[in-house]
Amino acid sequence: MESERIVAGLHCGEVLADLSEHLDGRLSFDRAERIDEHLAGCAECGRLFGEVTAAVRALRQLPDELLPPEVEERLAEALPG
Amino acid sequence: MTADDAKVSDETLIGRTAAGDPSAFDRLVRRHQAAVYRFARAAAPDGPPGDTGDAVEILRETFLAARRAASRHRDETSARPWLLALARQAIDRRHPRFREADLTPLRELARAAGWQSGGGGAVDESGLSVETAFAALPPEDREILTLCDREYFTVDEAARVTGLSDAAVRTRLHRARLRLLARLKERPHGE
Repeated sequence: MESERIVAGLHCGEVLADLSEHLDGRLSFDRAERIDEHLAGCAECGRLFGEVTAAVRALRQLPDELLPPEVEERLAEALPG
Repeated sequence: MTADDAKVSDETLIGRTAAGDPSAFDRLVRRHQAAVYRFARAAAPDGPPGDTGDAVEILRETFLAARRAASRHRDETSARPWLLALARQAIDRRHPRFREADLTPLRELARAAGWQSGGGGAVDESGLSVETAFAALPPEDREILTLCDREYFTVDEAARVTGLSDAAVRTRLHRARLRLLARLKERPHGE
């Protein structure tokens, strides 16, 4: 299937390459604005961006794994005081 | 970390460690040991080290290296990127590996995550699913996601830990996120 296209002057492939940079706010204002226009007008890229954002949010919301007590005890023993 | 511990900066603890203060070193260890442990579990090449002895050794080597290098630490910010860089060296010594370039085309990764497929395959955001999906990723993906999306390191800090260029960090992070998404959209057998 090949349904990539140009929306807001940007090809889907260009937008795909910039999705994480956009998510992290590392693009210039102008570039971010054009990407947003593309995402609003392209269902495939808009959906992918929403899903990547959701996956990253879910990963960030995982609780921190605690240090197992036995590891902490053995580390304390292994480090000279 | 207690409220009292929190008042003392990493810089101060590292400085006192360099001057030979064992209590400062102990506080530095207690403040960061869980983060070093999580990073070791994520970045170890053969999967999270279930073997407690291996995890202890990586932690021990990391903090001993930190104590030796404390007098050379010149960072004005948090000690964590510095400690995780030392942890990465400890992991590499114990698990030597050849790091291959990721040559999978970006479009292929995106299509595996459902791009250009006309929809379908909802993202399962439940905690258990995310944990399972994350654990199933290659160590390079777990490592970069831990640094950037769990520790909230800057690109520059993640580059310092991994030894990659800034551009390579950004590329690897994007690819890791796409692979995580693809995992989250996989349906278990029988559903």
